[in-house]
Amino acid sequence: MNHAITAVIKKDFRGITANRRLFLSLLIVPIVLTVFLPGMFITIAHFMPEDEDLQMLLELLPRSSWASTMELTVTGLIFNNILPVFFLMIPIMASSIMAASSFVGEKEKHTLETLLYSPLTLGQIFQAKILASFLMSMTVSLISFVVMLTVVELEVFLLMGTLLLPSANWPVILLLLSPAVSMIAVTLIVRGSAKAQSVEESQQGAVFMIIPVLLLIVGQFTGVLLVSLWILLGLSLLCVLLALFLLKKAAGRFTYEMLLQ
Amino acid sequence: MQTIILQNLSKTYSGGRQAVRQISLALDPGEVYGFLGPNGAGKTTTVKLLNGTLTPSGGSCRVYGIDPSAEPAKAHAHTGVVTEHAQMYDNLTGIENLLFYASVFGLSPSDSRTRAAALLRQLDLKDAADKKLSAYSTGMRQRLSLARALIHRPEVLFLDEPTSGLDPESAQNVNQMIRDLAETEGITVFLCTHQLRYAQEVCTRYGLIDEGRLLASGTLHELQKAIMPELPLIVRAEHMPHRLPFQQAGGENIYQASIRTEDEIPSLVRQIIEGGGDVYSVEVKHPSLEEIYFTLTRDRKRTENAEKTPGIQQAREEGKERTI
Ligand SMILES: Nc1ncnc2c1ncn2[C@@H]1O[C@H](COP(=O)(O)OP(=O)(O)OP(=O)(O)O)[C@@H](O)[C@H]1O
Ligand SMILES: [Mg+2]
Repeated sequence: MNHAITAVIKKDFRGITANRRLFLSLLIVPIVLTVFLPGMFITIAHFMPEDEDLQMLLELLPRSSWASTMELTVTGLIFNNILPVFFLMIPIMASSIMAASSFVGEKEKHTLETLLYSPLTLGQIFQAKILASFLMSMTVSLISFVVMLTVVELEVFLLMGTLLLPSANWPVILLLLSPAVSMIAVTLIVRGSAKAQSVEESQQGAVFMIIPVLLLIVGQFTGVLLVSLWILLGLSLLCVLLALFLLKKAAGRFTYEMLLQ
Repeated sequence: MQTIILQNLSKTYSGGRQAVRQISLALDPGEVYGFLGPNGAGKTTTVKLLNGTLTPSGGSCRVYGIDPSAEPAKAHAHTGVVTEHAQMYDNLTGIENLLFYASVFGLSPSDSRTRAAALLRQLDLKDAADKKLSAYSTGMRQRLSLARALIHRPEVLFLDEPTSGLDPESAQNVNQMIRDLAETEGITVFLCTHQLRYAQEVCTRYGLIDEGRLLASGTLHELQKAIMPELPLIVRAEHMPHRLPFQQAGGENIYQASIRTEDEIPSLVRQIIEGGGDVYSVEVKHPSLEEIYFTLTRDRKRTENAEKTPGIQQAREEGKERTI
């Protein structure tokens, strides 16, 4: 990769980690989603009374998701069908925090103009900004995954004396869908933030990205949308294509004049 | 090759404000061009046009042979820019900032280090190199900006108010540095400023701009000839002959006459002596850049007012005709 683009990415990373307020807000959502919520779900599954209605509901599920006890079946469902969706939320949150501050932050501190006087083209500056946010969100989401896996497996082992086996959903979500969705979010937010005048304004724009994911989660919980692996895979590939297209068109019709207003 | 060329360059902002109108000029390597004018004259707009961050609405410009509005990134590799709005990162130290811009401009890490260290030393920022920028004063920031603009050894340097926040000593140091760069390395410097005295110290040529128009351009001597063609000649003499074109000026025995060239001096002095006068000193007062600037802007105001009045009278007369 271009030397100059790498330099901008490194600088943006430092800018985030050096800003304590921004860094904390980057960590708070992943901690809630990977430590508290899974911990709570599994505890509830463990202490839940044996209920006949629930038993009947579970019997509607495909055989592949049945485990030896009801408690393990429910825990497996939570682990393999609900928690993966969190890994769509985490990168979107992380990248929106970073992407929102990338252009507007530089605009507010008057450093953008200096960057525009560099030999980087507008397209390269957009790419650097997008890649920085993307890499940051992927780092956050991989670390979150490791933390979550440790917390969940430990709790399941202590309460139920066994370990959970991650389903094929996990690699598809972690390696395909989550990066693609996060890339889409980043490109859209970076483009939006290039126009925005304040950090708040650009973060408000990011909220819209969360809505489809929230729907997906609600869908998962109510069982309306027990996405099959193949649908998931197809959806992921579609998102990857969209992400690549958006990345290529990132700078779009932006001009220096629009950025400096 | 001429490094900066403007041909009828014009810019009208989207609001309809004509900030730059039909400016043409060309600069050679090693020239330090002082671009002078009051607030809102169009100086910063011109710099932005020359860097491609604005697109001209008429005419064209070339910097180092490149059209900056078509290939801005390519042009930027040859230019260094200091403007008041081009800031650096507060969360990085002075040297980290310089190293960052060095890598953006494609310098190798070892080259960046030596270059950054040399510039920090030259600009008297060595002690502040490892301080965060948030702890820098305005003047330190301005000097660091100059270092940043020079990090990649540009052939063309654009300076928009580079010394406005500097103390006299630093300003002099910076001016010396600018002059050296132009003389020894042949860098072309395009300098916008209000500080006419500093401008007179560094610039080899000047352009006076107001309301987007280039009113005059040339060396101090050329400007003086065009704008203040009559030079005051001050003579201290006793027994000044009355028929000569001298007038008493200020103190006793001080006389003043207006001349167009210095060639007139010998014959005037001879006439004083032949008429019985005793000459103690003869001095031609060359106007400073400041005086030339004020004469020009004052003349302009006067002609503008003169232009306005007939218009009003005409309108009145038309009004009269209608009522009759
Ligand atoms: N983005 C903009 N949109 C509309 N008008 C602008 C814009 N920027 C500058 N102008 C107008 O263009 C004119 C020239 O502005 P410019 O900034 O070039 O002046 P300047 O010579 O640099 O002044 P100063 O000495 O105050 O820095 C001014 O009348 C200003 O109001
Ligand atoms: Mg200005």
